[in-house]
This record gives sequence, structure tokens and C-alpha cells, in this order.
Amino acid sequence: MATRSRPISSEFLFLKALALFVFWVLLSGSFDWVHLGLGLICSFGVAWVNSGHSPFVPKFRLWLSIFLYLPWLFYKIFESGIHLSKLILHPSLPIEPRLISVETKLRHQAAVVLFGNSITLTPGTITVEVEQNRLIIHAMDKDLGDDIESKQMESKIADIFKNEEPDI
Amino acid sequence: MDILSIIFMLAGLFFLIVAAIGVIRLPDVFSRSHAVSLTDSLGALLMLIGIALHEGLGKNTLKILVVLTLLYILNPGIAHATIRAAFRSGLKPWKKESQ
Repeated sequence: MATRSRPISSEFLFLKALALFVFWVLLSGSFDWVHLGLGLICSFGVAWVNSGHSPFVPKFRLWLSIFLYLPWLFYKIFESGIHLSKLILHPSLPIEPRLISVETKLRHQAAVVLFGNSITLTPGTITVEVEQNRLIIHAMDKDLGDDIESKQMESKIADIFKNEEPDI
Repeated sequence: MDILSIIFMLAGLFFLIVAAIGVIRLPDVFSRSHAVSLTDSLGALLMLIGIALHEGLGKNTLKILVVLTLLYILNPGIAHATIRAAFRSGLKPWKKESQ
């Protein structure tokens, strides 16, 4: 819980307000003074109200490597989506649902969250329960379950977080 | 460009239909939720990419990107919460009779 109780700095407050303001402009789409002024007041107000504690500590390197991990995740989502579609459309419905328990070597809360979310996003596998670094996963058939147990996804996520301080 | 966006939308439509068939055919909550998450992770993704290609670069495409980001954050959360609730209430996952 080390990252959760870290108070945020004033430049992070400004960054947050800026992000909210961009979001405001995007949604309102009008550029007259009334709209822009109201948006500026609102975004700073919201950022200030939420300035107490934040789990989102800006770490540029970490976010960049998570961003670079996404294309592989999308490829995986596509691959197992097609696999699951085949299972569903097959006349004899050859599914073999199973619960598998996986012990991860990830030592960061954020990494476990990312791992669980990636598993759930991949069609055919869903994270059922998470305790520290033990995950219970429901998989639709043997191939999808073996894919999780092959640790390929886990080692990619461990690579992302290799420079961070462990917090579990 | 229009042909590309139509191809993406048709692919998205395919996954949406497969997901709907899955919800009807599959036996229990656990396996049905797999079909439901297929809607968000592939159906909505391909559909929205198709719409974004049709709109071209601009305000609307940015909005679609925001929607996609939110979907990809919310979808696993909701799927996990539903399944965990089912699991904790003592529901046993369906198994093949031969196993």
C-alpha cells in the first residue's frame, strides 16, 4: 500500500487539471470564453477536491512500457477471440471449462492488477479470485488454460515492472 | 477508406453475433460471461475502429478513443466482479459429464 498513501505534488495537480480540461474541451467542442472559462474552473476544482491521495503516480517510463505491452495484448485478444468463436460456433460445443490456480512471481500490486486485467480481457479466460499473488482463473478449454500456465504473459509483465520497488 | 471501415464493422458484427449465440448456447454463468466479454473486447473494438476510420481524424475519433479506453478499463472490472460474486456465493462451474 506504499503508493496509495503518497500525497501528490502541485505539478501533478496541475497535470491532472490539464488532462481534465482537455477532456472537457473534447466533450464540449465549443471554444467561446464562457465554455472554456467554466471548464477551467471545473477542472481545477475537481483536481483540487481529489488532491488528497492518488494511486496514479506519474512514472513516465512505467507507463511507456505498459503502452508498448498493449500491441502484444491486442494480438493475444484477437488470437483467443477467434479460438473462443470456434468453440462457440462448433456444432458439438467442445468446451471443457476448468478452474485453474496460478501462483505468480509478481511482487507489485499494480503488476498483479495488470496481469488479472489482461487475463480477463483475453476472451476465454477470466480472473475469478485474487489473493496477494495467487490467482484463480476460469478457462474455457485446455488450450486457453495452458496458455496462462505457460507464463508467457506473466514474464512480459514482470519485465515491465523489473525496475520498480516491490510492494507485496 | 470506406471499404476498410466496412470490413472492420463486419468483423465486429461477426464477433457480436458469436457472443450473442454464445450467451444462448453456453451452459452456466461462468462460461456465459466469457461470451459477454467477447462483445466488449473484440466486437466493440472492431466496430469502433470501423466508425473511427469512417469519421477520419477529428473530434469524433478522439471521443471514440476515449470510449475505447474506458471500455478496456471497465470491461475486465465488471466481468471479474460478476464472476467473483458468483464464485463466492458458492456456485460451482459447469463441468462435462465425462470428466
